[in-house]
Amino acid sequence: MNKYTLSKRQAVNELSTFYSFIAGFLIALIIGSIILLAQDKNPIDTFSLMFRLSIGSVNSLSSSLNKATPLILAGLGIAIINTVKLWNIGAEGQIFMGAIGVNFLYINLSLSNSTIFIILLLLSAFLGGAFCILIPALVKVLFGVNEIITTLLTNYIVIGLTIYLVNGPWKDPDSLNFPAAAYVGKEVYLPNIFGKLSYGFLICILFTALAHYLKNKSVFGYEMRIAGGSEMTAVYAGINAKQKAFLAMLIGGGFAGLAGGVELLSQTHRVSTGISQGFGYTAIIIAAITGMRPIGIFLVGTLFGALSIGGSVIQTIGVSTYIADIIQASTLFGALIIQFFFNYKLLKVDDD
Amino acid sequence: MIDIQLLGLLNATLQAATLLFIAALGELITEKSGILNLGVEGMISIGAVAGFITAVNTNNIFFAVIVGVLSSAIFASIHAIVTVVLKQDQTVSGLILTILGLALSSLIGKNYVGKKLDTKLESLFSINDPSNIFEVLLSQNIIFYISILFMILISYTLKNTMFGRRFEAVGEDSKAADSMGLNVIKTQFIATCLGGAFAGLSGVYLTLSYVPYWTDNMTAGRGWIALALVIFGGWKPYRTALGALLFGFLEALVPRLQTYGFELNPYIVKISPYIITILILVLLTIYKDGKTGAPKNIGIPFFRENR
Amino acid sequence: MNNKILETKNITKSFGTLKALDNVSFNLFEGKIHGLLGENGAGKSSLMNVLSGLYQPEKGSIYIKKQKYKISNPDHASRLGIGMVHQEFRLIESFSIKDNLTLSRSNIHKDDFMTAFKKYSEIFALNLSENETVSNLSVGEKQKVEIMKIIFNNSNIMLLDEPTAVLTPQETIQLKNSLETLATEDTKTIVLITHKLKEIREFTEIVSVMKNGKMVSQDLLTQKVSDNELINLMMGNVKKSQINKDNTIGDVKLDVINVSFKDPVNNIKKLSNVNLQIKSGEILGLAGVSGNGQVELANIISGIERTFEGKIIINDNDISNKGVKSRKKLNLSYIPENRLGVGLAPGVSVIDNSIVRDYFQTKLGPHLSKNRSAKYLENLINQFSIKAPNPKAEISTLSGGNMQKLLMGRELVGNPDVIIAAQPTRGLDVNAVEGIHNLLIDQRNRGSAIFLISEDLDELFKLCHRLLVIYEGKVIKSFTTTDSNISSVGLAMAGINE
Repeated sequence: MNKYTLSKRQAVNELSTFYSFIAGFLIALIIGSIILLAQDKNPIDTFSLMFRLSIGSVNSLSSSLNKATPLILAGLGIAIINTVKLWNIGAEGQIFMGAIGVNFLYINLSLSNSTIFIILLLLSAFLGGAFCILIPALVKVLFGVNEIITTLLTNYIVIGLTIYLVNGPWKDPDSLNFPAAAYVGKEVYLPNIFGKLSYGFLICILFTALAHYLKNKSVFGYEMRIAGGSEMTAVYAGINAKQKAFLAMLIGGGFAGLAGGVELLSQTHRVSTGISQGFGYTAIIIAAITGMRPIGIFLVGTLFGALSIGGSVIQTIGVSTYIADIIQASTLFGALIIQFFFNYKLLKVDDD
Repeated sequence: MIDIQLLGLLNATLQAATLLFIAALGELITEKSGILNLGVEGMISIGAVAGFITAVNTNNIFFAVIVGVLSSAIFASIHAIVTVVLKQDQTVSGLILTILGLALSSLIGKNYVGKKLDTKLESLFSINDPSNIFEVLLSQNIIFYISILFMILISYTLKNTMFGRRFEAVGEDSKAADSMGLNVIKTQFIATCLGGAFAGLSGVYLTLSYVPYWTDNMTAGRGWIALALVIFGGWKPYRTALGALLFGFLEALVPRLQTYGFELNPYIVKISPYIITILILVLLTIYKDGKTGAPKNIGIPFFRENR
Repeated sequence: MNNKILETKNITKSFGTLKALDNVSFNLFEGKIHGLLGENGAGKSSLMNVLSGLYQPEKGSIYIKKQKYKISNPDHASRLGIGMVHQEFRLIESFSIKDNLTLSRSNIHKDDFMTAFKKYSEIFALNLSENETVSNLSVGEKQKVEIMKIIFNNSNIMLLDEPTAVLTPQETIQLKNSLETLATEDTKTIVLITHKLKEIREFTEIVSVMKNGKMVSQDLLTQKVSDNELINLMMGNVKKSQINKDNTIGDVKLDVINVSFKDPVNNIKKLSNVNLQIKSGEILGLAGVSGNGQVELANIISGIERTFEGKIIINDNDISNKGVKSRKKLNLSYIPENRLGVGLAPGVSVIDNSIVRDYFQTKLGPHLSKNRSAKYLENLINQFSIKAPNPKAEISTLSGGNMQKLLMGRELVGNPDVIIAAQPTRGLDVNAVEGIHNLLIDQRNRGSAIFLISEDLDELFKLCHRLLVIYEGKVIKSFTTTDSNISSVGLAMAGINE
């Protein structure tokens, strides 16, 4: 009988993340197919319908890209924070806080120049997101409190705050029973580039480039990588590791906050509990699946945006919209399983 | 003679606390073995929907509980395979478990939204006199007593038995445990599935008794509170129970605030558990020199040949 | 030597392309203390890890009392009577001594725990309650508990991996006595892994020598083999190069004046009134047993530790209040003792690690251009003959020797005025050591002032002009290497100041 033993690979294939993603996506499509078959739906028909309705026309493609925008922005925020090897599970809350930031400034300020106003509102969204992660960031660098738990819990605090605002001080009397704040004025709507495609997507491209520069090309990114690798090495190199971690967290939180701001100004136009439907969590999947690479996040985020649009439109033929969530989650599980085989190998052990 | 309203509050507190506590106890077991599972919310959901569907179709409550618990345990085994066997990141895997669990349960439960249960998971005794504190305490749901039983059992086992000490050793230092001849992989795998089973029990309690119907996302963040409770309790069963009572009390208090004529804002009361947990985590980290009670090995995959 | 209790034949174990063990055969005899001698990286620990079930060899067989076994895990090893004490202890810190001694499945003192605990406490001179929490113990005490643990877990064959590395001289003598008692009274078979000849002499009856993953000599009787023979076996034929020390010495480059330091965490005094001066072209050695303030002093000079009293002057600039970067700009380089973790960041690529010293300098900025970093690394690789095939690979995929060359190269390439080198050759094989020594000498000849912190007296005598001995944070003696001998420095290191 042959026995096997596990051995860690010394060098991991550089494209392993990409291959794992492709394999994971195929696995997810198979799982999706099985679920569809179990519901007496033809998987090929369903998937091609999803494909057509999400990227088959300029209009549907625009919807998909609009949908992808907050996912990508929040995913970039997670990736920036991960450069210092910290987790941000709080993107969901930061998205809400970004939207709250927009509305807060909108209520308290009025400007005639709408371009400047929009830019200020987006800045406020960024600051809102950064503010949202402030406490977790502070207690992390000051006392070493685990950021996974604190950012996670912050989500519920911020969502609670949102519910309070839209039921209380910001409640729009015209919205009848649906708790929501009043709509922002049309003058601050993010305009469309063409068709339905919002300028939000352009912001998303810009920030992808910015995140890529920040993470991979800048001195700050380098300092974050060293600080994330070893705090001792950072100190030895004259890098203030705690400061880098703190800044990374605020910037990452800001990115997610911006996602909320863009979503408000381009899609929902008001604060409600519907600002995000779990975007912050899907963003974690996207960031993790790409190995925290900004350009990868942009591509996978776009794909996942299309999947969500496809998922929501196939409801019309009686397929649950959750199929998109299941495919997204299964992709990451599949990718994680395949990644294992890139990191380890099985060695045969001779018996004599 | 005790105020009936107060006893009503006590009753509601105990019910809400049980729901949170049983899931937290499961997570405590998983984390004690060194595995962090952020998928509690998803696992509760799976148990809740599986139990509910079985109950509607078979009218057999006992069978429904078994199915709910087993479904969640099997669902948790995904996390066990990915993190324990394949040594991938526990944070990521747990989070997707939540997303997958919520999506799957919504998908499976789609045709059961709004269906009614013919039989519920009953209390042992029914309340005849709601003003009698003993009747209130004795008339709790069977899961309440089961959770107390488990609390005592788990606490005793961890502290006083060879089995429990060995189990804890795995989560404290898996290499040391390995050198003691303990099967780290097996222990962590079982502990993860056991955590799933407890979450499943919480789930069936939710749909078969607490709010006996099914609707999307009905776990409503309880899984996350359960996670917070484990930290709140410093990874100790009794303190976790105390936390569950506090959190359950706050949950029970919200709808009653107006009746009592308090000016407390119900939204603030609702988010207070999360604020309190963060505060406690920070205080524990500062004043106990980082010794929050967390198992040392949590989050680190075990690989014997790691040098 | 008739009672052969364990025998291995042709054991082979590889990690990636590296053959850690190559056809290794090894014998153990009942009730004897064996030495397993070899340099760091010779394969001693790997062989022991195979015997204790941690590593699965690809080839080879193990016989215990003439019966063939395949040892599949540490538990299986315990059941076969083999236990190992690793350099990092496998104790559960938050548990009591008793829990640590008894939790194993192969524990043989379940019913007579107290009797056994008393017996072995006496042998090890351990004066502690069984309920004491392990985290409260000193390192020496932890080691005693660790050795007791493997005895409680049924070990008749005890493998000890460099046990003396963490002990004081007194504790080492104590350990020797304990092990002798165990061998004679309990007929335990003991293996002591070490690279120190002195310990082979003092502790063992039988010695085997490994080099480069191979067993070069087996079952020598310690009493019948000379130190020179052992050195030749262990190191191969190295020509110990004689270093010319008559090079030109210039002006003072580094001046450390009256430096004192208290650990801010526990307020314990780590350095008191340290004074030293190093001139251009001079190598000043700092000898001392680890933990006598060397790391603190190096950190203070390099700017990592800023809360001290006294003055640091480089090239006539008072830099006492300056940070790491401004000291680097005055051309100070620091090669820290802790290679991976301080000098190099684990989890980060080779290329990123190669620019740690200069990343903020204009030659690489203002945007960290990938091309410039790649060129920088390429230059290091060529100049210092580093084997690093993939610049994007994680740093720990390099061998220890190549990591150190990268670290040294990175710190030396700018021709620094002052170099602090802490334990630069620790854990490296002979050839790598020779290479590192040559680098330091080259740099000396170019006029650098070098501060060499080392525990290895041979190294210090070979390279340095002058030596200081540090003991409990004080410089207690200074020597000129040309007119003093190793033993008087050794005595000073032990705190004996004649």
